[in-house]
Amino acid sequence: MRITLGYVPLTDAAPVIAAAELGFARAEGLEITLSREPSWATLRDRLALGHLDAAHMLGPLAIASALGLSGPQAGLSIPMALNLNGNAVTVSNALWSAMAPTSDDLGDVAAAFARVARAWAAEGRPLTIGTVHPFSSHSYQLRLFAGLGGFDLDTVIRLVVVPPPDTVKALRRGIIDGFCVGAPWNSVAVAAGLGRIAALGCEIAPDCPEKVLALPAEGADFALPLVRAVHRAGLWCADLANRDALSRLLAERAELDSDAALIARTLGGALIVDADGTERVNLAYLRLDAATHRPDPAQARWLVAQMVACGQLPPGGDAADRAAALYRPDIFAAAIAG
Amino acid sequence: MTETSLTVAVIDPSTARAAILEEGLRAAGVASVVVLPDGPDLQARVANLKPDVIVVHLESPSRDVLEQMSGLSRQAERPVAMFVDRSDQTMMQAAVDAGISAYVVDGLRSERIRPILDIAILRFNAFARLQRELDEARSELADRKLIERAKGILMTRKGLSEDEAYKLLRRQAMNEKRKIVDIARAIVTAADLLG
Repeated sequence: MRITLGYVPLTDAAPVIAAAELGFARAEGLEITLSREPSWATLRDRLALGHLDAAHMLGPLAIASALGLSGPQAGLSIPMALNLNGNAVTVSNALWSAMAPTSDDLGDVAAAFARVARAWAAEGRPLTIGTVHPFSSHSYQLRLFAGLGGFDLDTVIRLVVVPPPDTVKALRRGIIDGFCVGAPWNSVAVAAGLGRIAALGCEIAPDCPEKVLALPAEGADFALPLVRAVHRAGLWCADLANRDALSRLLAERAELDSDAALIARTLGGALIVDADGTERVNLAYLRLDAATHRPDPAQARWLVAQMVACGQLPPGGDAADRAAALYRPDIFAAAIAG
Repeated sequence: MTETSLTVAVIDPSTARAAILEEGLRAAGVASVVVLPDGPDLQARVANLKPDVIVVHLESPSRDVLEQMSGLSRQAERPVAMFVDRSDQTMMQAAVDAGISAYVVDGLRSERIRPILDIAILRFNAFARLQRELDEARSELADRKLIERAKGILMTRKGLSEDEAYKLLRRQAMNEKRKIVDIARAIVTAADLLG
């Protein structure tokens, strides 16, 4: 059986790319055609209208698509999560110099960020910070990061979307002062000498829900073999013994425009954070391991709470229940038992 | 349609396709049509232009930028929202099939947007058809060149006439149940390798 699976080029697309390219799908009788999508909006619409059979998708965007908050309303189910964490906040060298935090501890960094953000806003030149989509954990992590520093994101900062491949260009031209994106784009900005990784997503929100495998709610009779294939591919990806092979696969086959050594660092959680080569190791930086695969309805509820905090949803109502019902640990359990 | 009061922005990674849509919208009476390039300046350009409708190709990486400028963001000065006509699933499907999405300012009525989308669907489909025909014509031309070269090689090496060379190619193709151009390609490749 042949299916088309959409993805956006990021390190955390690894499980679906490996499933398609390394024989995990074929072992389940599936032939996956990978479709690289130019934006999350286009991936969402193509999944909603049946051009895609499955997708590597931002968890909040899948929920928003199914609830009719973003694009054409889609009947979706989420039988598997692909990873936890993987994002980081990177700031321009100029902003980092102005922040000059006393240490790399999250509290110190957030306080320094808040001090500069307030000062620049008072001068009528608010900081401009990039995210990847309104319905993304990135947007929620930026809000939480601002909250740690004691300020409200909306009133102090301009939040814009920058497509991740454009982040380096946007930093160089001073269009943004920083951004929160997924791997490997933070590391790409550091390698270009343009940015400083200020905070890791996994510190701001530990075990933050990230990408999911989203399928149409109706007619996805390939769900069980697909989940099994992606789950097994995910286990292979999480095995550090395969890190170099996986990095090469992502750099070459997935058209991720980054070199394999840089991707390997993001997979291993050993990031170079500044132009001097300072290394920070956090093994939870990007989690692809088995424990991250079960689609926990509690994650959907947490994401809906973030949407409410952002004003994307009114408080109250049944959105949390409807979102939780999209997450299907029962399908996941049936798939991996098979 | 005589829709003179709207400003329409067109965003498309293909400049040729953008130009065709721009021309179509002007011909239909839309006075202000502006083609905007993708890139890190896009948000500023949209903010300056303040378009009523933005037609953006699905292949553009800028769609997520526009989604952040929607009413969901508390900061948007002139919020735009993706145009989704829930009452007309067929039109939605036709737009996506043609590669189109549209973002409109809040409150713009559906009947003012539909004619613009109809033009975009027609023009983008026509562009895709032309592109396909052009690709076919190109590959046909390339095939014919290969066959000419293969005939030339056979004529020189085997002292055949042009007609005999072609007949030999055709017979070989029939025997092997392959296309003449495939036999020609094999001959050209072999001749290139063997000198």
